[in-house]
Amino acid sequence: MEDLVLELKKDIIESLNLEDVKPEDIDADEPLFGSGLGLDSIDALELIVLLERKYGIKLKDPNKGKEVFKSVNVMAQFITDNRTK
Amino acid sequence: MEPIYITGAGVVSAIGIGKDETLAALLAGRTGIGRMKYLPSCHNDLPVGEVPLSNEEMVRKLGIADDVRYTRTALMGKLALREALQEARLEGEALSEAHFISATTVGGMDRRETYYEHEQSCDETYAQIATHHCGSCTEMVAEGLGTFASMATVSTACSSATNAMITGANMLRCGMADIVVVGGTESLTKFHLNGFNALMILDAQQCRPFDRDRAGLNLGEGAGYLVLETAESVRKRGVKPLCVLSGYGNACDAFHQTASSPDGEGAWLAMQEALQLAGLKPEDIQYINAHGTGTPNNDESESHAIRRVFGDHLPPVSSTKSFTGHTTSASGSIEAVFCILALQHQFLPQNINWQTPMDDGIIPVTDQRPDGEIRHILSNAFGFGGNDSSIILSK
Amino acid sequence: MLNGHCLETSGNGSEMLTDAYRRYVGDYPKFFKMDGLSRLGFIASELILQRLGEERFTPRTDRAVILFNRSGSIEADVHYQSTISDPDNFFPSPSVFVYTLPNIVTGEIAIRNKYQGETSFFVLEHEDQPTIQAMIEASFEDEGTTSVLAGWVDYTDAHHFEARMKIIIKE
Repeated sequence: MEDLVLELKKDIIESLNLEDVKPEDIDADEPLFGSGLGLDSIDALELIVLLERKYGIKLKDPNKGKEVFKSVNVMAQFITDNRTK
Repeated sequence: MEPIYITGAGVVSAIGIGKDETLAALLAGRTGIGRMKYLPSCHNDLPVGEVPLSNEEMVRKLGIADDVRYTRTALMGKLALREALQEARLEGEALSEAHFISATTVGGMDRRETYYEHEQSCDETYAQIATHHCGSCTEMVAEGLGTFASMATVSTACSSATNAMITGANMLRCGMADIVVVGGTESLTKFHLNGFNALMILDAQQCRPFDRDRAGLNLGEGAGYLVLETAESVRKRGVKPLCVLSGYGNACDAFHQTASSPDGEGAWLAMQEALQLAGLKPEDIQYINAHGTGTPNNDESESHAIRRVFGDHLPPVSSTKSFTGHTTSASGSIEAVFCILALQHQFLPQNINWQTPMDDGIIPVTDQRPDGEIRHILSNAFGFGGNDSSIILSK
Repeated sequence: MLNGHCLETSGNGSEMLTDAYRRYVGDYPKFFKMDGLSRLGFIASELILQRLGEERFTPRTDRAVILFNRSGSIEADVHYQSTISDPDNFFPSPSVFVYTLPNIVTGEIAIRNKYQGETSFFVLEHEDQPTIQAMIEASFEDEGTTSVLAGWVDYTDAHHFEARMKIIIKE
């Protein structure tokens, strides 16, 4: 799970163009949205694409994203439970 | 402001080719949104508002020789432009002195994406894609119909055609031109269908503007063109105006690249500006043709903005996008033509496919019969990039 | 180059824009989400606006932003197309799609500076100065517009881009 958390942090940084952010800057329990990372609704959509592209999980309802992307740890757990890749 | 006259109008959309067919559909409450017929997309379960003609059929209707350069966007544009020029009796010398401002974002994308895979390996396809460029598209629309004094292309997303109208009006006001032909054209493409789908703002059913249960927009396609002239030009040419462009405004929401601010600041500013320029008060407007895409975000934001401007003097409001779908860059001019028809025939284009009121939102009009005379209509067009525009058309 | 003087930058092509961001701006991480065209327009506008010596970042409706180019949003278009070209690796990117409109750069400048005045974008066959001048002058017909940030901002790819921007203030 720790490997996945680190992997996720790297993916988030890359797919959301968080240029000056390093994995150690992201607290795995802190809210991803509404925090210092400054993520918006388009970033949420990109994370949905990431879930499908890398882990084969299809999220049809963008509102479900709010629960899944609560924090990196919540995301990692969701992926562990639902991944098909 | 000195009056700016509209002396010709042409339109092509999912509800008809030309104003007569369009009027019939609006009066009958008949939508043009349905199953995909012409666009070869794998997402063919998504409802769209396609123009009910194939490219070949449009070529035949135009009576021109088939040319490998003709893109769907250009063909629709030609049909609408021809109608507008004919109505305004704009030809010969007067036409060569007129200016042309056309709006598009997609340009010849429809053709390009068909040939994309082959492009790398085949030079012969070059002619097929040479008119992809937005500026080339404008030239292609005009070709065979007019040699204008100048041509320009506006590309500001979904407010493009309205902004073409505003630019043309400004040119008339500062004496740069006596006649400007303005509008826009846009065809459906897989490129932007997939893009809007990726933004998760498409509805899997026919869109429901201002409905509590709305889930997104349907994409549409079409073209609309208008001939704008000064009073002096109208007198000189002895033409009869259809109506007046009495006011307009453009402002930036400055909030987000694609979402509208919760209280619709940009929309509010644009509508206020249009009213101010027209020297009108909110109570002088008898109908608002809203942008009303049917997305949760737009309809809420626009409701707030309209309420803020009109307060207790809220006129009937509707969106016609449940008739045509969202025709993106062409929507401003297509819907302006709908407003002209409404003024001429004194009816309210109703908001079809509406059932349940939003909380705190606009309740749109579903009955065509106006309460009194319709003298002034406000029409909104809001684009990505926070580009918000409004125009007022008057008898 | 700013007001006739060369500015110090380093890096080739688009790296130069990132370098310019770090040297002369540095406080706007949204820069890294932008496509090439928006980055180019953003940097050009920042360089001018920083030197203007006026108060910034309070909402205003009297400044218009009017830009022109030939290439539209081609770099973003190509990038986005690459996310939908392979049927076996078909993942349209929403964040890239957002930039497949040339006027998003005017939106980015407006968001940064809180400009709520007119914004517009014209695609021309080439940098046609008479047409550009005419459009800029016509925009002053709006009485509420007292200044215009205008220019040619064209970005084809990381090694082919140019911007010539100016601010015109009504007397």
